[in-house]
Amino acid sequence: MLKVDNLITRFGHVVALDSVSISAAESKITTVIGANGAGKSTLLRTISGLEKPASGAITWQGESIVGLRPEEIVRRGIAHVPEGHAVISELTVEENIEMGALFRRRKFKSDVPKAIDEAYQLFPRLLERRSQLAGTLSGGERQMLAISRALVSRPKLLLLDEPSLGLAPLVVEQIIDTINTLCRSTGLTVLLVEQNANTALGVADHGVLLALGKVVADRPAAELKADAALRAAYLGY
Amino acid sequence: MSTFLSALFSGVSSGAIYSLVALGLVIVWRGAGIVNFAQMGQAMFSTYIASTLIVNGYSYWVGFIVAILAGAVVGALMDLLVMRPLSNKKRTELLSSESMRAAVPVIASLGILGVLQALAGIIWAAEERGFPSPVARDGLTLGGTVMPFTLYDFFVIGVVLVTLTVTTLFFKKTGMGLAMRATALNQEVAKLSGIRTNHARTLSWAISGAASSLAGLLIAPSSTLSPNSLDLVLIIGFTAAVVGGLNSPVGAVIGGLIVGLVMSFVNFYMTPEDVILSILVLLLIVLIVKPRGIFSGKDSRRV
Repeated sequence: MLKVDNLITRFGHVVALDSVSISAAESKITTVIGANGAGKSTLLRTISGLEKPASGAITWQGESIVGLRPEEIVRRGIAHVPEGHAVISELTVEENIEMGALFRRRKFKSDVPKAIDEAYQLFPRLLERRSQLAGTLSGGERQMLAISRALVSRPKLLLLDEPSLGLAPLVVEQIIDTINTLCRSTGLTVLLVEQNANTALGVADHGVLLALGKVVADRPAAELKADAALRAAYLGY
Repeated sequence: MSTFLSALFSGVSSGAIYSLVALGLVIVWRGAGIVNFAQMGQAMFSTYIASTLIVNGYSYWVGFIVAILAGAVVGALMDLLVMRPLSNKKRTELLSSESMRAAVPVIASLGILGVLQALAGIIWAAEERGFPSPVARDGLTLGGTVMPFTLYDFFVIGVVLVTLTVTTLFFKKTGMGLAMRATALNQEVAKLSGIRTNHARTLSWAISGAASSLAGLLIAPSSTLSPNSLDLVLIIGFTAAVVGGLNSPVGAVIGGLIVGLVMSFVNFYMTPEDVILSILVLLLIVLIVKPRGIFSGKDSRRV
């Protein structure tokens, strides 16, 4: 289980996260929704070590991970798929996937090819394009690749930042379905950040609404989805 | 015809060395975003180490290998002792603007160049000395006629080819090579993938140091060795790297050959005095016509 307590992250004088406390329950999908600039991405970036918090605690499986470098946090089982289909365009599809498993190549020698095979099974289109440069993929394929890169590290917690951004509805559905299946079948814990609140709440167990760096609601997803007043006030529909 | 062949062979052989120098610059540029002005200072230092060993009775090859290892160690130390601490200093502590912060490590590399040259002067005295060649440097004779190339030319070209092949295989086929490419291309994604980007960067400095030390060793027999003897080689290698596009290892190799050939033909057909001028003219032409170099990708930074 992941617990975030009174987390404050600042960029100069701008307070991006203002005393945020959330938790992500094991083998469940927790979604963080909110408008642009609410601090959703900063929250994930602080958890994965890309940003240093000014204060607050982040506890993962009972241990503090504040101050660890991103490359050490991945080793503890937290994989972050940042916003914008983060793949390396100049590398091939295959290299992008391998990259995610590099740090396991000595300790878990026999599991690495297995993990890579599983990723290809999950997204067979990547297998067809394995020797192409990642830069030549469509947006949806790039998102699949970014997720695969994260999955081959065999994470226990997956931090997903706006996987639906800029993708066609059908592709979004496919990606969200895959994440849902993964969570239900393998017990993966997911922390999903989305601007597309309906899609996210539809699949999540628990929902957190963030506005201007503060938590305004923290409830079961279905309840949050049904709250018309909250939606109108913070999400604008 | 014989002048043409002589120019061609000497151009390819010296061009191969400039390819190494350019490759060293490109590896650090890609890995750390720095043009390393100390590079040939490191090479000079390693070559002095080789020279000392050889003068004291060790074989050429002992000197050769120790010098390359020394180049790698000095490169790694430069990163660990100077560049990494500098990059860990955040905006508020050092300088505020982005461009000034990019300039700091470059200026530091100039400082290191000065230190290395002064140290070499103190340890080995600043006078020029010769450097042995492992094979003959006279024109080869074939069927009674003297050929326009020497055994040493073949030695140089062979060593450089082997080095380039090994380097390419390392970057393309090994996990460490992939980690280094990923670090050079996108640090954030590399870190999130669990790559220890600090280590990858230190390794870039080490490989670059080894490659440029090799270049220093290969040049030394054709010139003399002194604390400043490789200054010009840095400028030539830099031109080669810019011609190829600072981002591209393949470009560095081809840029090195182009520069070597241009210099050699100017030397043979015009006057030796015009050689340096020709390099600067080439640099200017490339900067004006194709500022990103011939082989660089579309997002590379301008030189």
